[in-house]
Amino acid sequence: MRKVKYRIFLDYDKEEKWVNDMAKEGWHLEKFSVGRFVFVKGEPGAFIYRNEYLGNLSEEEKVEYFALLQDSGATIVHESFNWIYVKKPVNEGPFELYTDASSKIDYYNRLLNSLLIVLIVNIAGATINFSIMGLSNKGVFNLGAGILHLLVAALICIPMVKIDKNKKKLKEQLFE
Amino acid sequence: MNEKTPLTEGVYYILLALYEPRHGYGIMQYVSELSKGRVELGPGTVYGAIKSLLKRKWIVPIDEEGRKKEYVITDEGKRVVEAEIKRLEELYHNGQLITKGGKSV
Repeated sequence: MRKVKYRIFLDYDKEEKWVNDMAKEGWHLEKFSVGRFVFVKGEPGAFIYRNEYLGNLSEEEKVEYFALLQDSGATIVHESFNWIYVKKPVNEGPFELYTDASSKIDYYNRLLNSLLIVLIVNIAGATINFSIMGLSNKGVFNLGAGILHLLVAALICIPMVKIDKNKKKLKEQLFE
Repeated sequence: MNEKTPLTEGVYYILLALYEPRHGYGIMQYVSELSKGRVELGPGTVYGAIKSLLKRKWIVPIDEEGRKKEYVITDEGKRVVEAEIKRLEELYHNGQLITKGGKSV
């Protein structure tokens, strides 16, 4: 039995928690893409799920990293837009991809850098659209596109602020 | 992570694990055994550390046969570990000195 759910998360931690809550109810993630999640019916609470942004891993590095994940008992559920979900049976103990503060901070930095690029691209898109909208009779489209870019830029700030907060908390743990 | 700052516990143990050639999962298992289960490194932590240790040339990949690469510590990596052990010794001795009533140990 399958169930498809549509949901947009700006906070990937909340998304991961939701996927784990679904698993507790016996709905196990099978596939995902932006806003769309496919679950299959299974044993309630059998797996722990983790999501991860792969960032700038090359194809070769990806193969290597996936081999390491599999060796350590995890299964790659699905990969989409450079994000993966992995799962590990609950009875094999706790399952975390990052186990210390400094490696988690490195991970947050990778995420923040990627989000920053998206932010800059959208701010640039907004600026270009607003500055050329007076030049043609299609100015209304430029206005619309510019507003859309601004909206995306504003939305991107939400996870960035959250990740930055998490990062500060970890840095306190390290007395930095 | 550089020569001046202390190594993290994870990186220190990963370097120790690579005094013998090991692949990623071999490192995870060895570190768990060595620390009697106290330090369980996650795959993301280990892979990130391998990448950054390779960049610093503290470890190198060895000729691979299968799909899993093995790594081994370099001479430079060993120097870093030895310097870290000296630093830990200083911490240990001074800690003992102060907490055990100023007695020399």
